[in-house]
Amino acid sequence: MLLQMNKITKSYGALKANSEVDFSLRKGEIHALVGENGAGKTTLMRILYGMETPTSGSIVVNGKQVAFHSPSDAINSKIGMVHQHFMLFPTFTISENIVIGREPAKTARFDRKQAALITEQLGTSYGMPVDPWKKVEDCSLGLQQRVEILKVLHQGAEIIILDEPTAVLTPLEVKELLIAIKRLAAQGKSFILISHKLQEIMDVADRITVLRDGKLSGMVNAADTSIEELSRMMVGRELLDLHKEAPARGEKVLEAVQLTIKGEHGKPKLDQVSLSVHAGEIVGIAGISGNGQSELLQAISGLAPVDSGKALLRGRDVTGKSVRSIREQGLAHIPEDRYQWGVAKDATVLENGLMGHARRYQRGGVLRGAAIRQLVSGWVEHFGIKTGSIHTKAQYLSGGNLQKLIVARELAQETPFLIAAEPTRGVDIGAMEIIHGELLKRRADGGAILLVSSELTEILKLSDRVLVMNEGRIVGELPGLTATEEEISLLMAGG
Amino acid sequence: MDKLKGILRALLQPLLAIVVGLGAGAIAIAIVGGSVTETYAEMWKGAFGSFYFFTNTLSRATPIMLIGLGVALAFRAGFFNMGSEGQMVLGALSAAVTAIYLPGPAWFKLVAALLAGVIAGGLWSAFAGWLDARFRMNLLITTLLLNYIASLFAGYVVSYPLMDRSGSAAMAQTVMVDKSVWLPKLFQGMSLHAGFLFALIGAIALAWFMRYMVKGYEIRMMGGNPLFASYGGVNRGRLMLYSMFVSGGFAGLAGAGEVLGTQYRYLDGALTSPGYAWSGIMATLLAGSNPLGTALAAILLAALQTGGMGVERNTDVPLEVSSIIQAVLILFISAKFTYSFFKKKKKAGA
Repeated sequence: MLLQMNKITKSYGALKANSEVDFSLRKGEIHALVGENGAGKTTLMRILYGMETPTSGSIVVNGKQVAFHSPSDAINSKIGMVHQHFMLFPTFTISENIVIGREPAKTARFDRKQAALITEQLGTSYGMPVDPWKKVEDCSLGLQQRVEILKVLHQGAEIIILDEPTAVLTPLEVKELLIAIKRLAAQGKSFILISHKLQEIMDVADRITVLRDGKLSGMVNAADTSIEELSRMMVGRELLDLHKEAPARGEKVLEAVQLTIKGEHGKPKLDQVSLSVHAGEIVGIAGISGNGQSELLQAISGLAPVDSGKALLRGRDVTGKSVRSIREQGLAHIPEDRYQWGVAKDATVLENGLMGHARRYQRGGVLRGAAIRQLVSGWVEHFGIKTGSIHTKAQYLSGGNLQKLIVARELAQETPFLIAAEPTRGVDIGAMEIIHGELLKRRADGGAILLVSSELTEILKLSDRVLVMNEGRIVGELPGLTATEEEISLLMAGG
Repeated sequence: MDKLKGILRALLQPLLAIVVGLGAGAIAIAIVGGSVTETYAEMWKGAFGSFYFFTNTLSRATPIMLIGLGVALAFRAGFFNMGSEGQMVLGALSAAVTAIYLPGPAWFKLVAALLAGVIAGGLWSAFAGWLDARFRMNLLITTLLLNYIASLFAGYVVSYPLMDRSGSAAMAQTVMVDKSVWLPKLFQGMSLHAGFLFALIGAIALAWFMRYMVKGYEIRMMGGNPLFASYGGVNRGRLMLYSMFVSGGFAGLAGAGEVLGTQYRYLDGALTSPGYAWSGIMATLLAGSNPLGTALAAILLAALQTGGMGVERNTDVPLEVSSIIQAVLILFISAKFTYSFFKKKKKAGA
């Protein structure tokens, strides 16, 4: 056994993030670690990578007991980690990023050519070629991840921890990454893969360890299990089968007519996009992120100025109107980037929940404290938002719980039209189930929903119609019932 | 429980800064050969030693409090208003001119003069906000530079067109405001005037406004994450002008209060040389933009200054010891500033 973690326990005061967790890794193995948000996956890996010290338990690498006090200890034991958010210097080249900390030098001078050579050899020998002279800021997210993996390999890692590696990748990049991982494993590298995406794990992993509430819920061979069983182990109960009623399409709620936003170099960011969303309907927009989806949502919700075209909400022209007046006309908005748009991190759960509701929960400009507390407490209960109290700062909530708060807030606006952008990004299965259920309920109640997601499974599960965006245009429309991932992927790639 | 912990944590840093500041002062005193305990005793006496000194300290704290409150509001909204000095000067000049030249009964002149001060300070501040909203001119720089324009303009006005030529001394000042228009003193024979009540009421009102009013909520959210606020339907441009106006209005009121309650005329340099505006900004930083905390910090800073004068009167230790303590205070507050800035950066990069 290459790595053995025995009875790892980590307590933060009364809270046990890990409780007697066992974990092991063989040479050349891909071992997936799954669990809901807050199940203790990240804590376990932070312990392995020397970022946390365990309260009790032992770690054995290559038969030798080790104690890591910092990531550099872990790196010296040939353990490397690729974090969910990349840690690269955008203005430096790929090779500079890879050799950092181990720079080749001619006497005291940094030898760039040698660094590029090393990078090139590294890339070819592991089947992940890169251009050493390219700046990281010019690289796609998939390529940046490849750089991260090469950096870890350059540090001599034999055990590589990948934290949510596919969260930000396009479907094609995901495929490439999984192939690369398999190839490296065949060459004798060992992987620990943290992921929410059970299908990918089933495709690539040898063994799967499931954590629940900080405890080991089970360890299975991928060949002997199914997605259903894994979900059950993660959540601790059967998942409800979402019931999607037949669509009852009503009147037109939102209509966009040839919306256009000019780009910087003549190429429009949003190119004459027309679409409509009816009452009782979910319209899904699929597309690789950065193909105009953000601009479309900002144009509709009044956050970005439109160069031409118009948006009609419940028959009224809302183009160029203020965000507030559009919201009052009947729009609620689950934003795609929750930290950028969705919350103020230093503000409390209560204050974040109040956004958009303040105008209704006031008397003569004074906030109605008791009513507001009751409102937000209700959401916390209904959505099972894990928070110390409603006075806890938003920054202390996990991503999934914050997302539940945002979804609850926007659903509570009870508007005829709802934008749901990446409503379940980075959210665990349990929360995803709740959010999807709420969106379908809104649809059944006659709400019109515009769904934007980079998850094709989500699009296919929820949408009545699927629109595909590519380079600022809508390049295809498919019926939600019969559309397949392959069809959509092809359109997304511009084919 | 959580709340209490939060309050304690918020208090820890400024208290620590004060302790370190006093420590540094002690070293300075020892170096110049004074007795540390005696000097600090004199400083305490100079600031709080008798009713007279105590009211004197509060009187000095009055403009600092008002300015600090204005700056706190702007900070909370996410704007760095460094222009309190200019806003105060224009407020003072407008108040003086109104009180001297407006016809009508005395109470009317007094109210109008105070209002004129608020409006002049507010408009000068909102002007910087408008420059930012309209031309994307950096607020930090415009507010700072507008100080010079305001001070020099006021200096010109009282040196040429409105100069007091009645007395024998040719000073850059207006004629005196009629006694009937003066702000009343709170106690017979003491320097403390009714402006202090404005500052107290202002601190409580601002705290209440920020916490319980819709506008206050919107201002705080805009300061916390401007994109979040605009996503939620807050009109950033309008709210910015509003906050900048109120922020400058506080500074203008500080200037008007000093003219109508202490100087009774606009005297060039009388408001700028004591550094009220900078003390006000310091008070805000010390209190982390908390309105009630700002008021307290303002009194503390004023006490350091009046106490320093006491030290100079009664010992051989120079007045500058107070400045050293204040300087160390600033250093430690700015350390907190950059520390939290780096923490944020680190998080963003992680």
